[in-house]
Amino acid sequence: MSDTPKDLPAEAGHRLEELEHGLFTSDLSVNEFLLIKEVGFHPLGFVMGSSIYHTGIQTRKWRTSQELTKLTGAMYEARELAMTRMEEEAAELGADGVVGVRLDVNYYEWGKDAAEFIAVGTAVKAEDGRSYLNKLGKPFTSDLSGQDFWTLMQTGHIPLGLVMGTCVYHIAHRGLGQTLGSAGQNVELPNFTQALYEARELAMTRMQDEANQLSATGIVGVRLEEKSHQWGSHTIEFLSLGTAVAKTSEQVTLEKPTTIISLDN
Amino acid sequence: MTTTPPDLPEAAGRRLEEGAFTSALTVPDFAACLQMGLEPVGFVQGFCVMQWQWYGMGSPFGGLGRLGGLGVPYPGGTSGYSERWQCPHGFVSAEHRGWGQNYEQTWIEDAWRTGFTSAYQRMIEEASAAGAHGVVGVFDATEPLAGQNVLEFRVQGTAVSVSGGGLPADGRPWTTYLAGQRLAKLIEAGYAPVSIAASVASVRVWANCITSYLTDGTSPMWAGQGAGIEIEQTAKAGMAVRRIARENVRSQLGGDSLHGASMSASERELGEGDAELQCILRGNRVRRFKKFDPIPVPRPTVRLL
Repeated sequence: MSDTPKDLPAEAGHRLEELEHGLFTSDLSVNEFLLIKEVGFHPLGFVMGSSIYHTGIQTRKWRTSQELTKLTGAMYEARELAMTRMEEEAAELGADGVVGVRLDVNYYEWGKDAAEFIAVGTAVKAEDGRSYLNKLGKPFTSDLSGQDFWTLMQTGHIPLGLVMGTCVYHIAHRGLGQTLGSAGQNVELPNFTQALYEARELAMTRMQDEANQLSATGIVGVRLEEKSHQWGSHTIEFLSLGTAVAKTSEQVTLEKPTTIISLDN
Repeated sequence: MTTTPPDLPEAAGRRLEEGAFTSALTVPDFAACLQMGLEPVGFVQGFCVMQWQWYGMGSPFGGLGRLGGLGVPYPGGTSGYSERWQCPHGFVSAEHRGWGQNYEQTWIEDAWRTGFTSAYQRMIEEASAAGAHGVVGVFDATEPLAGQNVLEFRVQGTAVSVSGGGLPADGRPWTTYLAGQRLAKLIEAGYAPVSIAASVASVRVWANCITSYLTDGTSPMWAGQGAGIEIEQTAKAGMAVRRIARENVRSQLGGDSLHGASMSASERELGEGDAELQCILRGNRVRRFKKFDPIPVPRPTVRLL
């Protein structure tokens, strides 16, 4: 029996132990399963990690646009805990990577400032025995579907990790003087533009820093999500997510697509 | 090393200078770009936050709101579309909507153009700073921000460099809403992307009595005779707003063509009998660079569901 890491529940250990005996669970569709097999990987099991986190509070200045660094740190660490636990489950199975990762935040009525951060995905292992562990010695993680995983491999790239960057930002309220000063005009508000611009760039730079730590050559499928969660409309989390990739071959083996016309109704 | 233009945040320069490229392309689009010889350089973006007032400067109702305009027909005289409807009933009551008018809100169109163009230019500046030849998979949005009569314009995309290619003659990266196989098909068809083209048209509808009765469902018999009837004032506003959007985009094309145009029209009720029709037209400005090269005959397929 494998040793379950201390921060995983005992039930996870039992479930993973059963998976080690050959039975696998997965949330892959049949098509995804076939494509992952075709590219030389085998699904090992459905893995997950979660963290219920009290995100705390941070005072904001009514008239100042500023990053709320404590909240930024909390949102980042909570996701990192969930991801790490999912990676630990995958490592328990001897996986090379996790595909189809979904990273969600849920709020419950019983905890006003608490949120559950949950990461789920399907652990996979290379059938040729080659190790695909990333530079940090961990299984790669990726939010790519089975189809995208197959396509990426044909371009001579491999996934290294799901990378993210976040920035929680407070947008200043406009004072009466500011409002009256520009009354009746449709004009740019440069301070607001710069503040939001900076917040998004910070989130993206942090994501890129994670990719650089993995020695990635690029990040594909970047998404920039914006949510106010439960903070009100003037406080926004900018979350940047993508899959860091590395080029392993100059050769793109993807054939030129064939044109088809569907005769389905 | 890249040079960050002064109106871009310092973090943008740092991000674009660092090693790993960022790309908003999906994996299929990424693969198709590599096949075409387009290498992603970085995710690029531009923003512009604007104060937004529907009765703003330039409005016939002035910068102090609509109070000065209540009950007074707009005399026209702007450069845009304007049309008036007269009540057929004569004096009925003081509340009777004896006049109606459609008119183009050129100040809204100008403000939209300012916001969109500023955000677009900033995206182009990021792409230029990163040494890109073009920007693919552009997407744009306009959203209200924090409930403060504030609109944010955003334009984002993935900057790419062309293997062995150079910048267009004007030195500015080309842009397109297309990416992946859709872009590949465009190029196979003999067209090269030049830039995205987008424009808004805004028409205000002050309903007269007939329009008001017909749109709010309280039509007396003499307004619509109880039968289905065209609401002429609203129908004409709908046609005008689409025509103006087309003309605004056409003015951006020079001698080029528009490919993959998408038109979205919406209505916003600003008050009783007072509405704004808005139409946004987006598309790809493209230029022919070779003769049409027919694609292989498609293979018929049937899915075995």
